[in-house]
Amino acid sequence: MSFRERLQSWRYNLVPDHLVGEILTKRWTDNAIPFLALVVTLATFGSVIPGFFKLTSLQESTRQLGEFSMVVTGMTVVMLGGGIDLSVGSIFALSCFSAVYVFFILEQSIWLALAASIATGLVFGAINGYLVGYLRLRAFLTTLVTFIFGRALFDILVTTYAADVQLSTATSDVLDFIGDSTFWGLSVSVWLAIILAIVTHIALTRSRPGWHVLAVGGSRRSAHNAGIRVRRTVFMTYVFSGFCASIGGFLIACRLSGAGPGTGLNLEIMALTAAVVGGVSLGGGRGSVIKGLMGAIIVLTMTNGLIRLGYGTGTNQMVLGIMLAVAVTIDIRWLKNRHKVLNEVYVAPVYLKMGATQSAAPGSGTPYELDNRLSAADHIGLGELEGPEDVILDRDDNLYCGTRHGEIVRFFAPDYVRSEVFAHIGGFPLGLAFDKAGNLISCVGAMGLYSVSPDREVKRLSAETSRSWTSIVDDARLRDPNDCDIAPDGRIYFTDSTKRYDAHDWALDSIENRATGRLLVYDPKDGSTKTLLDGYRYTNGVCMAHDGKSLFFAESWACRVHRYWLEGPKAGTAECVIRDMPGYPDNINRASDGNYWMAWLGMRTPSFDLSLRHPDMRKRMTRRLPQDEWLFPNINTGGVVKFNEKGGIVEAMGDLPGGAHPMVTSMREHKGYLFVGGILNNRIGRYRISGADPNWTSPASYWGARP
Amino acid sequence: MILDPILDIFRGRAVTIPPLDGAFRPNTRLDDAPAFAELSEPDNLLVSGDRLIASSGNAIYSIGVGAAPVVVETFPSPVRALALSPSGELTVGLESGKLLIAGKEVALSADVRCITALAYANDGTLWLANGSAEHAPSQWAADLMKKGASGSLWRRDAASGAFRKVAGDIAFPYGLHPIGKDVLVSESWRHQLVRFDGETGNRSRVLAHLPGYPARLSPSPDGGAWLTLFAPRNRLIEFVLQETHYRQDMLEQVPPAYWIAPALASSRSFLEPLQCGGIRTMGIHKPWSPSRSYGLVVRLDREMQPQFSLHSRANGTRHGICSVAEKDGRLFIASRGGDCVLAIDLASGGF
Repeated sequence: MSFRERLQSWRYNLVPDHLVGEILTKRWTDNAIPFLALVVTLATFGSVIPGFFKLTSLQESTRQLGEFSMVVTGMTVVMLGGGIDLSVGSIFALSCFSAVYVFFILEQSIWLALAASIATGLVFGAINGYLVGYLRLRAFLTTLVTFIFGRALFDILVTTYAADVQLSTATSDVLDFIGDSTFWGLSVSVWLAIILAIVTHIALTRSRPGWHVLAVGGSRRSAHNAGIRVRRTVFMTYVFSGFCASIGGFLIACRLSGAGPGTGLNLEIMALTAAVVGGVSLGGGRGSVIKGLMGAIIVLTMTNGLIRLGYGTGTNQMVLGIMLAVAVTIDIRWLKNRHKVLNEVYVAPVYLKMGATQSAAPGSGTPYELDNRLSAADHIGLGELEGPEDVILDRDDNLYCGTRHGEIVRFFAPDYVRSEVFAHIGGFPLGLAFDKAGNLISCVGAMGLYSVSPDREVKRLSAETSRSWTSIVDDARLRDPNDCDIAPDGRIYFTDSTKRYDAHDWALDSIENRATGRLLVYDPKDGSTKTLLDGYRYTNGVCMAHDGKSLFFAESWACRVHRYWLEGPKAGTAECVIRDMPGYPDNINRASDGNYWMAWLGMRTPSFDLSLRHPDMRKRMTRRLPQDEWLFPNINTGGVVKFNEKGGIVEAMGDLPGGAHPMVTSMREHKGYLFVGGILNNRIGRYRISGADPNWTSPASYWGARP
Repeated sequence: MILDPILDIFRGRAVTIPPLDGAFRPNTRLDDAPAFAELSEPDNLLVSGDRLIASSGNAIYSIGVGAAPVVVETFPSPVRALALSPSGELTVGLESGKLLIAGKEVALSADVRCITALAYANDGTLWLANGSAEHAPSQWAADLMKKGASGSLWRRDAASGAFRKVAGDIAFPYGLHPIGKDVLVSESWRHQLVRFDGETGNRSRVLAHLPGYPARLSPSPDGGAWLTLFAPRNRLIEFVLQETHYRQDMLEQVPPAYWIAPALASSRSFLEPLQCGGIRTMGIHKPWSPSRSYGLVVRLDREMQPQFSLHSRANGTRHGICSVAEKDGRLFIASRGGDCVLAIDLASGGF
């Protein structure tokens, strides 16, 4: 092995590249960028400005933060619903003025002032909501108009009444308490903001109206088709935003005991920046209150910090603008490209040097030598079937197979012309086995282990095992249950081929070649599922030995067959019985002569074997080429191989031109015939085996003669 | 996306090839055509008087209508190029690097060891394409996978009788089409047609970004030409050409027949590489799937721009077409991958 190759094997087998992709599949990675921005902002200003985190300084900041974050919460809800509200600043200011007017000029109680404040917010919110929601005007322009109108109104009112407010003598303990005091160390505005945030969060994530908002924002048309009242939902988001802004306005009225021309100025830009920087998507449907709050803290820290560093309003505005631009870019690019990044990063190939193999080429003289015998097989269900991965026959000679439509199809003996859908399970039924009671047990790709009773009742036996401690993606879930077989005591042994890919992406697993295949056992007595073995390269076919004391299982991408002992001195351990085959093994089943049939799903090619030693090349291949162009094992040629108890190869047969059975994933012997299935084929083959016992059947071999 | 140039440094650029569109729009005309004659790996076609002459292996055959091909002459090594002088002398280039004109061996420069094409201009000038300075014609795949560009173009004036090198550093010249004093050369590994000035050897690109590897050119009576493309471009192959270490290991450790490289025929052994799109699904081999071999003949107009094309797609068998010959409104096509010579009636072909 060259030094370079050794380095490659270390680099790709020891560095866990696959974790990057697994982490990216998590939804919480959406929060990572705003959270990082938050930490960086706090750390920067905390270290640059002395006393930034002092209590008195924080107290003033948090009061402001309370008012601001309320506005942001409202904005967040509007944005989640797919809209935008530019009028929050003017609603905020007008609500502030309403409170001031009622309290200082009309000299009414503070509660009436609060009511006036809220009423102002609701009215303006309702105007926005009516125009945008019911009349379906553009949110941006509509709220821009309300913003200009509200601002103008506020400026007129403030200049008219400024003197009167100054002269007023109205006082209230409540007002002072809200404006100046703290409660358990936090000011009232912060408490209110926290309560509002919690309530909104719960409403959004756990209530019907909240889900409606997210649904409408995610896809207006789908929401409409699903029966959601889209217009009313949109209307309500603006009303809620108005409400939030009005509470903020009331709080600032209490804090400043008045309203000035600067009240609520530029608030809409700040709130919008906060929401977007926090990660609430401008397109709607994606985001959360927590994100909005993170954004609020970032924006407020930034603006306050800059002021304390001595920068003027101009700089502040510019920084806000830049932040908004960056956040919008990241938001749109990330949203659009996240799945692409994931696709590019997820496949993380490992290094493997395959052992030298004997040739299977015709004329090579090895036991693996393939011929064209399978080309002569009769076909069953040609053109009707799609993807019979496994085939099985019952005691009455009827033939069963799974299809890619998630069905179990039954062909009736004796001619197998008539067929019916025996049961619909969903997923992709793969391995099949009959238990003692005649239930059909099936490994269903992407779903789990299922049982179909003779009267067609479908029952899920298992869909999960215990989770391993170090997993990032939940590996308790069965992603690709592939084949099963049943021990004499009724326990079902089955394989889950990979933890990394779903059943239909099995081919990707061959490119990656990471050893994540498992052997599991389901115990019908207590319904438990246990992992017996882990860390194989695509565990596939399972077959109980004739004596029921051990089982064989195939490790596809490593071209090996292992024997797992159920009892005896080696119980619980596995040993490799066939290694370095020229083909990739799939299902294994019993033969009438005491040997075992093994399907080859494809053949090793020198170019693919070599690529396994070049993981960097495979990685670049997955990134730079579309999937249709990727190099693959040659699965256009498969075969059926018979091996004996000791792992010796008895014979092999194939269909080299590939006209009938290019890829063979299973075969089942029954009364002197071999029934052949292929996951990518459109037929089942029936091949007469010369010299086979014409009375031997699989159910009898497993469970004895008919009871 | 504006960030792509920066990101490409880390992730690499997507590998792309020209699409089969416009004049290259796929059809199944080559697979629909009846076989005119069965012949093992017919390489070079030539019309001599009333006869159609084809090279196959070590021999030259004469093919008549409705009869099996007849051996005209055999040689000690495989025939790689044929041409007929204006005075009717059969000129043959052999795998061994020898050139025979009317049966007599002609002295060549020691640099000429890979004769891929021969052509006579109207004034009797003989053009010779030397595909590579390092490899014999049968080792063309190795030349491609080693990114060879050591081919050269030679001419022999009817008067002087000596060969003169006109240009070098050509990435596998594989076809010749004399135009007046100049010559049009198909530069295979660069997927282009280049016109060389007959005197100075100055080159100008005539047609670039071909969707396959161009092979021989042959004249058409109306002043246009026929271009054959012996294999398709394939994104996996172009990718492997960029992968230095994998490519080197492949050249050293994998038998040439199983390389990830263009081929004259494919899907003959399970040891050949397979691409995802080429998987037989539900009994179907998708005709648009990526393939190492393909059949493609292109008609060029007087300006040497493509007009239309004849195809044998990924699921077809008439692959690896290196030469065609037009005679009396019929186009004869030699398919090395399909082991046959086809005849297409141009008048009724609906072109």
